[in-house]
Amino acid sequence: MSRITEAAPAGSAPAVEIRGLVKEFAVGLRGLKLRAVDQLSLTIAPGQIYGLLGPNGSGKSTTIKLLLGLLPPTAGECRIFGVPSQQVTARRHVGYLPESPDFYRHLSGRELVRYYARLCGLRAPALEARIETVIASVGLSAAADRRVGTYSKGMLQRIGLAQALVHDPRLLILDEPTAGVDPVGTAAITELLLGLKAQGKTVLITSHLLAQIEDICDRVAILDRGRLLLEGSVAELVGQRERQSLLVDALLPAELAELRAWLAAKGRSLHAVETPRERLDRIFLDRLGEQKSPRV
Amino acid sequence: MKSKAWALLAVTVVLASAGAALDRMVQPVWSAARARQPTLRLESATAGLGQGVTLALLGGFRALVADLAWLRMYVLWERRDLPACDSLIRLVGTLDPRPLDFWLNGARIIAFDFPVWRIEAEGGYERVPGSVQERINREQALAALRHLDDAMRFHPRTPDLWVERAGIELNRLQDLSAAAESYRRAWAEPGAPYFAARLHAELLRRVGRRAEALAFLIQLHPALPPDDEGAAAPRVLERIQELERELGVTAERAYRPALAAPGRP
Amino acid sequence: MPDFNASCLRIFFIAQNTAREAARQKLFSFVLILAFALVLGARWFRDFNFGAPELKFLADCGFGAMAFFGSALTIVATAQLFFSEIESRTALTLLAKPVYRGEFILGKFLGVLAVIGVFCGVLTLLLVAVLWRREGELMAEFPEAFRSGRSVDLGTVVIAGGLQWLKLAVLAAFTLLVASFAQTQLFAIITGFLVLVICHLQYLAQDAYARSGTWLGRMGGAALAAVFPNFQLFALADSLAPADGPAWGDVMRVVLYAGGYVVVGCALAVFSFRQREI
Repeated sequence: MSRITEAAPAGSAPAVEIRGLVKEFAVGLRGLKLRAVDQLSLTIAPGQIYGLLGPNGSGKSTTIKLLLGLLPPTAGECRIFGVPSQQVTARRHVGYLPESPDFYRHLSGRELVRYYARLCGLRAPALEARIETVIASVGLSAAADRRVGTYSKGMLQRIGLAQALVHDPRLLILDEPTAGVDPVGTAAITELLLGLKAQGKTVLITSHLLAQIEDICDRVAILDRGRLLLEGSVAELVGQRERQSLLVDALLPAELAELRAWLAAKGRSLHAVETPRERLDRIFLDRLGEQKSPRV
Repeated sequence: MKSKAWALLAVTVVLASAGAALDRMVQPVWSAARARQPTLRLESATAGLGQGVTLALLGGFRALVADLAWLRMYVLWERRDLPACDSLIRLVGTLDPRPLDFWLNGARIIAFDFPVWRIEAEGGYERVPGSVQERINREQALAALRHLDDAMRFHPRTPDLWVERAGIELNRLQDLSAAAESYRRAWAEPGAPYFAARLHAELLRRVGRRAEALAFLIQLHPALPPDDEGAAAPRVLERIQELERELGVTAERAYRPALAAPGRP
Repeated sequence: MPDFNASCLRIFFIAQNTAREAARQKLFSFVLILAFALVLGARWFRDFNFGAPELKFLADCGFGAMAFFGSALTIVATAQLFFSEIESRTALTLLAKPVYRGEFILGKFLGVLAVIGVFCGVLTLLLVAVLWRREGELMAEFPEAFRSGRSVDLGTVVIAGGLQWLKLAVLAAFTLLVASFAQTQLFAIITGFLVLVICHLQYLAQDAYARSGTWLGRMGGAALAAVFPNFQLFALADSLAPADGPAWGDVMRVVLYAGGYVVVGCALAVFSFRQREI
């Protein structure tokens, strides 16, 4: 198990710091306990996109809830920018998008964002301008006056992002943000997150769709049954340092044989010859020709 | 489970402690309200109105249930169902004794309607002997007076009950002396009608207590507002002068109305 | 410790959202239906030709409707508006903001209080209007019965409506307390109705236990009387006659009584909800 942790720059508190976190749930009447998070420790530096990955039931959402102070830990501690998670003030600089979000159906999109903005302390005159900005940034300006109960799943995801961003948080926590979202929506979310990183925000994403997250995360931690399985930068984890990939024009069989012989003379092996594959989602997006069109 | 049990106990203790303190503060209010409420007899309510009403009574809808009972009594009154009407009249008084009209109308129905129904049930006025009719009238009149006695427990200073009582004593029992006394009791209460005073004096006159009647009217007249038709001050003056003639009061000693300020003595 | 002004604002916003949610669940059309029923009921009583007592029937119908429908509305609305947040997980999103759990509970309570306040207020105003108009018609028809003037004290009617609202506020606080630890909405609703019946009957239980010869019986009666408020107290102003109007001192005691139970109920709900795992 690799546990490569990156220390936060000197003089700045880590965005997230988790130490020895344990969470147990009582199940049944006989005092049996289910350990959902088991001695988890990790640190997220500011300005990163950090992926918390793992299969269903690995403890990702429980970890998020512990981090947000929605559940009390059985042992260990969490801090957000140095403030203990159990304190309400820790959430001042956090924006949260839950998994499969459901919002107040009786409110319009604009009313919803305004409600959360006010709860986060935004007041007039900055309030209305900020609301319009975030709604435009998620591409819902045309549907902002419709009731949330009429929104599609993708629109719910986007209004969820809007409410998470409205108060300009330093840390954004997204729980399964691309679950059930089509490639166009996923690409839009990816672009948004990269934009937030460019602004210096820290993003924590949880997902069980490892391939989707690989492209945007700087560092990842992989959980399994509540335990940290693997942690480190994406490049370090996925790269095979002892090998290289070369992209060349198509070779004839004779040329291929010659190359193989040349490598053998150098004491090297040609492990695989493959036709390069374009990613299907990339082909899909290119064909559509537009990554940002809102779908209603 | 253990922690939940302790938490439930803590909640109960806090509620009980706070409730005990709050109950002490509000005890005088509750004592007064409780005294005005007759004991709720669910059996009679259920028997008179059916099972469903029990829940309504337990839910705190006594006044509304009393109203509905009264409406039901009206329906049964049209069918001349004496036992049902009688029990409902009494039940309504138990459920909600505050409305005076329930007591007054109930007494009238007992005193005036029930005798007619009973006599007709026994064969009609042509066939039932006079002595039986008289007995029935008397029984129902006395029952009505007992009903008014119950009412006075909840409305001790109400002239209307005494006026009703006087009407029954006069018209059903032909007891002029008792009626005169009831009219006097009515007049002694605040808000009594002027006719109660006049009828008191008239009944005293009819039973031969003319001097008493005269003294009462002489005391009454100065306080009657001259511009109030209901007070009938000129008519009272006429009665005084009639009584003075009957009693042979001399001109020197006759009553001379003074310019007194109107208002009740 | 939270900034007091900011905390009050957050509570207000949560209450506003709660009331808006209830209003957009067709509450107002529900109130209109009741109002229409009251007007129809008023016309029906005319057929009996009661005279002055008709006013009592009207008032009792109005207060009865307020008590019956108001109690059902209070229990169901409190439970539903609370559990909708838990079941749809909007409570997660909300509590992930810098919002204290106590603010959430108080905001929910105040939102429900506003909803039942509108309900009681509309019914009270309608009742006042119906009584005033009908009394005018009866005074013209039966002048002798009204020789002392108007028989209905409209101020007492307004006080009675206010006391009903206070009673429902206490009921809402107790329902919220149950909801704060209940696992299902159905349990909270059923327990709310049970609390309603107990609170109306607790004086009977008190009497029964007081007559009991055993110390255990007397202790049980005292405990029951202390834990559950006496809802019969809120019928203080049900008699309409000016002479029967409640004394202001009595009204203030009942107001403080209700306020005390509301504060304790809400405080316990906050305490319970803070332990709840969402």
